[in-house]
Amino acid sequence: MSAPIVSVADLRIHFPTQDRRETVKAVDGVSFDVMPGETFGIIGESGSGKSTLGRAVVCLLKPTEGQVKLGGIDPYSLPSAELRRRRRAFQIIFQDPNAALNPRMSVLDSIREPLDIIGEGSRAERARIAQEMLERVGLRPEFGLRYPHELSGGQKQRINIARVLTVRPSVIVCDEVVAALDVSIRADILNLFAELQREFGLTYLFITHDLGVVSHVSSRIAVMYLGKFMELGPAEEIAERPLHPYTQALLSAEPIPLPSSMRATRRIILQGEIPSPTNPPSGCRFRTRCPFAQAVCASEMPEWREAAPGRFVACHFAGEVTGHPIDANTTKEAIA
Amino acid sequence: MSDAPLLDVRGLGISFLIGGGSVHATQDVSFSVQPGERVGIVGESGCGKTITGLSLLGLLPRATTHVAGQAMFEGENLVGLPLSRMRHVRGRKISMIFQEPMSALDPVFTIGQQIGETILTHFKVDKKQARERAIEALASVGIPSPARVHDSYPHQLSGGMRQRAMIAIALVCEPKLLIADEPTTALDVTIQAQIIDLLMELSAKQGTALLFITHDLGVIAETCTRMITMYAGQVVEDAPVDSALVRPRHPYTSGLLRSLPRLSARGAVLPSIAGRVPTLRDMPTGCRFAERCAHRQEACAAPQVIEPAGGHLVRCWRHGELVLPGALTDREAAA
Repeated sequence: MSAPIVSVADLRIHFPTQDRRETVKAVDGVSFDVMPGETFGIIGESGSGKSTLGRAVVCLLKPTEGQVKLGGIDPYSLPSAELRRRRRAFQIIFQDPNAALNPRMSVLDSIREPLDIIGEGSRAERARIAQEMLERVGLRPEFGLRYPHELSGGQKQRINIARVLTVRPSVIVCDEVVAALDVSIRADILNLFAELQREFGLTYLFITHDLGVVSHVSSRIAVMYLGKFMELGPAEEIAERPLHPYTQALLSAEPIPLPSSMRATRRIILQGEIPSPTNPPSGCRFRTRCPFAQAVCASEMPEWREAAPGRFVACHFAGEVTGHPIDANTTKEAIA
Repeated sequence: MSDAPLLDVRGLGISFLIGGGSVHATQDVSFSVQPGERVGIVGESGCGKTITGLSLLGLLPRATTHVAGQAMFEGENLVGLPLSRMRHVRGRKISMIFQEPMSALDPVFTIGQQIGETILTHFKVDKKQARERAIEALASVGIPSPARVHDSYPHQLSGGMRQRAMIAIALVCEPKLLIADEPTTALDVTIQAQIIDLLMELSAKQGTALLFITHDLGVIAETCTRMITMYAGQVVEDAPVDSALVRPRHPYTSGLLRSLPRLSARGAVLPSIAGRVPTLRDMPTGCRFAERCAHRQEACAAPQVIEPAGGHLVRCWRHGELVLPGALTDREAAA
């Protein structure tokens, strides 16, 4: 087995609130490894800290505690020139394809910009690479002269992909990259990501709230809630046999386009909303919304343990609550 | 199905006046909604689903919009209805909720003032009664401590709570029809489940018909009984939801369903619909989907009419011969 390309150890990222009296614990003790060539999915609701985590991986945010190792090296131990050179290999693409492009720059200039900043090669050489990447992401050469407002959302997202490819990254953090796109365009862009991964040997960190997307593209999935991982494991196992009650609730909340006769009737509707990360619940963070919560869940923080080979979970009752199929009625009563 | 539809839209064509000319955003849109029925309109961005909803309440800018056709609601044509009459319809008989509750709510008024406005407009009550009724409405949409929320401003609430408040405003007058335009798109999946449940419960309790505009086929499947697919400003299919999911008759409906990730093996190439929606300025005269359709033939260059086919209405002359896959995996379809 090769060495992990991204290694995150007990990462914590805290922000002061505006009045500086409290601390927002956006990421609060997360550890995982990403292997070269894999697609590591991170799923969670808004406010779970998944985007903060993604930004920390590409050194856009400095850890408050803990460590992010990129290719085995702590980037913050490097001199700044060396850090700049190294972080090229770790790129990020954001959700909103409009906000990520400069409206006053032509498409080709936008794609070339990362190379200009690096300052490698001649101007002609950089223009050639930019042109090549434009075509590689499936856009015709004449698109290079256009401006962002002339393009559709899907085309803009292709340009954002072309931009990061120019610097030949090894890891790309994809933060909700298809959330703003229509279903049929979404499929095209996901297909493009898969092709590029094979061609360039890319490693992806795929951050999304969309279960369908994450389980289609990922080899492993981590489920995040309020700054912590709840569960981590191979994609198909998480999707088919979730161990954590939160994962189970997430999966059952996803509306499925099947005729009523074929839909599973059980549905766990979580009450309430994700609590504030300034003052997370004691013990298990999910306990305030968990249909199975017991006294121990409030007093003791569940340990992050390996429930089965490669399957990690943080829940006192992980094995037990999944042992039985959940009956919708009893679940609803339990919450009410 | 009862005899008289609650809403009957016939030949609705919306055009915008732009720079001396005009572009047709929708053309010949016809559908009806029965009392208490839950109907979904699906389609990609730009297919005309939102403006169809807006036009029913006269919410498109009058100076630059021309609406042809008619939309009969309780014996009244909503198209061209004078503003003074429309005021009695909006909020009282037909309500609308929008995708982004933050921009639909007024940030400088409390939630209570915004519900109160609706109540005071439509009922002869005093402020005290209006307040009681508003608090009741907030409680009915599952808002904890409704009296506190009544006096809160929109920015003090979470996205899910704002959408609940929007629903409270929309339903406080017990309208006959609720137009919900992507009401859960901006919400997390667990909150979306709560809101869908709430809408279903309230529509059943008050007998409110729902016109659910969304691009999310899963949401349609779980909430609606009928599904209208729109493409490039036209209705291309109108069918019972379950039937449309199993055996869609229009290639576009089928294409939308097939591009969902759940139908493909993990990591497999997802089927997609190649190409783009034609722009309003150069809309083909024949089938508008033809350019992107895998089943295209020469006769598709002729204008398509919408006609009955196996319990559906379909705008495709090949509906009789094409057998198109729906939202089922091969295994599910075989079972």
